Amino acid sequence: MIPTHYFLILSAILFTIGVCGVLTRRNGITIFMSIELMVNAVNLTFLAYARQFHQLHGMIFVFFVMAIAAAEAAVGLAIFISLFHHRETIDVDEANLMHW
Amino acid sequence: MLEFIIFFVFAAIAVIFALAVILHRNPVVGALSLVGSFFALAVMYVLLEAPFLAVLQIIVYAGAIMVLFLFVIMLLNLQHVREEHTRPVQQFLGYTGSALFGIAIVYYLAKYAAMQLPNGPFNADARAVGVELFQAYIFPFEMVSILLLAAIVGALLLSGRLPAKTRAAETEVAP
Repeated sequence: MIPTHYFLILSAILFTIGVCGVLTRRNGITIFMSIELMVNAVNLTFLAYARQFHQLHGMIFVFFVMAIAAAEAAVGLAIFISLFHHRETIDVDEANLMHW
Repeated sequence: MLEFIIFFVFAAIAVIFALAVILHRNPVVGALSLVGSFFALAVMYVLLEAPFLAVLQIIVYAGAIMVLFLFVIMLLNLQHVREEHTRPVQQFLGYTGSALFGIAIVYYLAKYAAMQLPNGPFNADARAVGVELFQAYIFPFEMVSILLLAAIVGALLLSGRLPAKTRAAETEVAP
């Protein structure tokens, strides 16, 4: 059996890569993919602790996180399509208006 | 021993593909790298005795969500969009900040190195997860279906609407 902290440290590394992507990139879709990466790192933590404490609740949480990530991806990408129709770019620096 | 080899190989794959997502300029390459990273994470889920969620990870994440990403990237024809004017200060602060964050979180998690693994079998197959989901978590499960419906309506409203000028031109032409 692989110790739990191996998975926790892998999850921390993936989460940090996601944070780095959000902070340094300005392409909206890439930022969105970095967020998905962070969500997956958190899912890995949930499952690591679910095995550690012999609890099914962590797994149920991962299930809900996946469902909500799907909804988030659909709405977020629709926002980017709308932004691209108006501004011809998905650079997040260009998106400085809530309404146009 | 074999478990450790599988863990380190797929951990390396997950990290390398994740780095490709944030470092590569072409979003299509980024999206496909993210699919690779998700597959490696599915292997981690199998190692964590969660085969049901590993399958779900491949079908929902690598299958559905990433196809949606690729579809939007190709629909907007973003392969050739470059990030022209990069800001050195923002880049520097971003890399430094995330490196400090990474050191802090790994330092914090290293405390759990002494944690003992529990004894006894842990039954978390599809049947066990399903029974838990449809008994204790039936209300949140139904709420998720309403949330997904709201997301469908929201996505249609947001992406189906044309800019005001185009819409005005269309209504003039229509009658």
